Amino acid sequence: MIVSFENRLLQFIGIMAIFMAIIVVLFPFFWIFLESVKPPSLGGRPDIWRFELSWENWSEVLLNSSVPLNIMNSFFIAFITVVISLICGAPAAYAFSRFRGFQGARYSILAAEMMPPAILILPLFLILYKLELIDSRIGVVTAHLTFVIPVITWFLIGFFDEVPKDLEDQAMIDGYTRFQAFYKVILPVVRPGLGAAAVFGFVLSWNDLFYSLLLTGAGSRTLPVAIASFWTFRGIELGKMAVAILIAVIPVLILSYFIQKHLIKGIGGSGVKY
Amino acid sequence: MGQVTFKNVSKSFGSTNIIDGMNLEVHNSEFLVLLGPSGCGKSTTLRLLAGLETVSSGTISINGRDVTELEPRERDIAMVFQNYALYPTMTVAQNLGFGLKAKQIPPKLIKEKVNEIAYLLGLTHLLNRKPNALSGGQQQRVAIGRAIVRKPKVFLFDEPLSNLDANLRLEMRAEIMKLHREIGATTIFVTHDQEEAMAMADRIVIMDNGSIEQIGTPTEIYFQPKTFMVAGFIGNPSMNFIKGKISNKMEISMPIGRIKINALLNLGEDIEVGIRPEKIKLADSKSKSTEIKVTVLVTYVELLGPRAVVKMKHESGQELTSVIEHDEIESYKVGTEINISLASQALHFFPKN
Ligand SMILES: Nc1ncnc2c1ncn2[C@@H]1O[C@H](COP(=O)(O)OP(=O)(O)O)[C@@H](O)[C@H]1O
Ligand SMILES: [Mg+2]
Repeated sequence: MIVSFENRLLQFIGIMAIFMAIIVVLFPFFWIFLESVKPPSLGGRPDIWRFELSWENWSEVLLNSSVPLNIMNSFFIAFITVVISLICGAPAAYAFSRFRGFQGARYSILAAEMMPPAILILPLFLILYKLELIDSRIGVVTAHLTFVIPVITWFLIGFFDEVPKDLEDQAMIDGYTRFQAFYKVILPVVRPGLGAAAVFGFVLSWNDLFYSLLLTGAGSRTLPVAIASFWTFRGIELGKMAVAILIAVIPVLILSYFIQKHLIKGIGGSGVKY
Repeated sequence: MGQVTFKNVSKSFGSTNIIDGMNLEVHNSEFLVLLGPSGCGKSTTLRLLAGLETVSSGTISINGRDVTELEPRERDIAMVFQNYALYPTMTVAQNLGFGLKAKQIPPKLIKEKVNEIAYLLGLTHLLNRKPNALSGGQQQRVAIGRAIVRKPKVFLFDEPLSNLDANLRLEMRAEIMKLHREIGATTIFVTHDQEEAMAMADRIVIMDNGSIEQIGTPTEIYFQPKTFMVAGFIGNPSMNFIKGKISNKMEISMPIGRIKINALLNLGEDIEVGIRPEKIKLADSKSKSTEIKVTVLVTYVELLGPRAVVKMKHESGQELTSVIEHDEIESYKVGTEINISLASQALHFFPKN
C-alpha cells in the first residue's frame, strides 16, 4: 500500500499536536518540581533556571511543618467520606436504576450537585458550631458528604443499568430477598464501578478547598488549606508550596490512572437509556 | 410434585392489560408449553407465577396453596431465563450451589449435590470456570443444572433454547425432555417456536394478546384448532384461508366453488374456510359430493428435501399453498393448470373476524 504524501503530512501534524498537548499539560508539573528543588534563597524567582540542586524545601516541609499532619487529615477525611458515600450511594444508585417511576428523578441528583457550595456553608457552619464540631475532621466529612454522595450515586447508576435485571430475579427465585440479591449478586458484578467511584469520590474530597478552608482550624487542616497557607503576610513561600502541591497531586495522578477506563462510563453513563 | 392453578389472573402495566382473565390448570408432572407470537404475554405469565410480578387481580396457587401474595423465594419454583442469567462473578460450582446455600444446607452436602448434578449434565470438568469461559450450550446446561439441583415443585423455562444454534437446540431439547422424564417435575416451558412446542409438549397453551386461545395436546391443537388465530398460527406452511358464505341447505359458496357440508354451522353468514396445505390433493377421476374440484395454475414450486411446497392460483384470484411428497413433483409443473380436490372433512370453519 502506498501511503500518500497528504496522509503522511496529516499523521505528522497529528503527532505534533499530541506532543504539544503533552508539553502544555506536563510543563507546569515540571516547573513546580524545579521550584521545589531550588535553594530557598532563590525562592519566589521562577525565572531562574540555573541553580544548584537543593532538597532543603523537601526536608523542611516533611520534617518541620504541619504538612504531614495535613496529609493525615486529608487522607482520613477523604477515606471516611468515601466509605460513607459508598454505603449510602450504592443502594441509592441501585434503586434509581431499577425503580423508574418518575423519569426525571435521577437528574435531581445532578441538581443537588450543581448547587453552589456557598449556599450550604452557612447552615453547615451553624450546625457544626452548635454541635461543637468546628475544627474537627468529622465536621469536614459531613460537608464533603454533601457533594460526594450525589456524585458517587450518579456515577454508579450507569453501572447498575448495565447489569441485567434477570440476575437479581434469578437470585430471588433461588431463595434470597431482594436486599440479599443486591449485595450477594449485584454488588460483586459492579465491583469495578464501586472501585472507580471510590477513587473519584476520594479525589473530590482530597482536592476540596472551600469547605476545608472555612471549617478547619489548626488541628483538622487539610492539605489544600495547608498549600494555600504558604501564602503568608511575608510573601509566598514558593519552594515549600511547590513541595506540598506535588505531594497533593501525585496520589491523584496515580489513582486517576487506575480508573481512567471506568471514568467516562461513570460520568456519562447515567443517561437514561431505553 | 406440583400442580399449578391460575384463577382469573389479570395483569396490567399502567393502563395496558397484558394478561386478561387467565384461567389455567397445570397438572402434576405435566410438560406444558406456552406458545404464542412474541409480545403476547408468555414471559409475563411465567413471571407472575414466579412472583417476579404481582398480579393485578386473580389468584395463583401451587399444590392448592395460594401463593399470590408470596415472595419468589417462598414459592419453591425454579426458572431458566432466555439469557441464562448465570452469576458472572461465581464459578460454575458456586452458581449451582447458590440456591442450596440459601436453604442453609451444610457445605459438604451442597458439594455432594453439586457434583451429582454436574456429573448428570456433563459439567464436572467445568466446575471451577466462570460463566464467561463457557460456550452457549455449556451455559445453558449450568442454568438447567442450577434449576434442578434444588428439586423445586415447578420448573419454568422462558425460551431457553432460542439463543442456541440449530443443532445444539435439538440436542438440548432432547436433553430437557429426558430430564423431565427422569425427574417428573411439573414444567412450564415458553417458546414462540411451534415446532419446539409440538415436539416437547404434553399439552400446549396457545396465547394471543394476553389471553388463552386454546389448550390441548399437540394433536388436538393441530387437527382441531378452535379459533382462527390458532389455525393460522400453527402449521408450516400455514393453513389456507378462503372467504366463504353459508347458503341454504348446508352449503358453502366460495370464490373457488361450492361444497356441501354435513353439519350445521352456527357462525353467521360470512365465514373463513381453512384447509391445511397437505390436505390439498390432486383430483382423481371419481367425483364425490363431499369434495370440490378446482382448476388452478401452478405458480411456484419449492423443494424442501423429501417434500415440496407448491403455490397455486385460482382464476378468482384466490391463492392456495399445498405440500406434496417428492415423488409427486412431476405432476406440478410451474405454469401448467392442474385439477385439485378439497375434501369437506378436511375443511375448518371459523367465524369471519
Ligand atoms: N415491566 C413492564 N412494563 C410495561 N410493559 C411490559 C412490561 N413487561 C412486559 N410488558 C409488555 O407486556 C407485553 C407482553 O410481554 P411479554 O410477556 O414479555 O411477552 P412475550 O414473552 O410473550 O414475548 C409486551 O407488550 C410488553 O411490552
Ligand atoms: Mg418473552
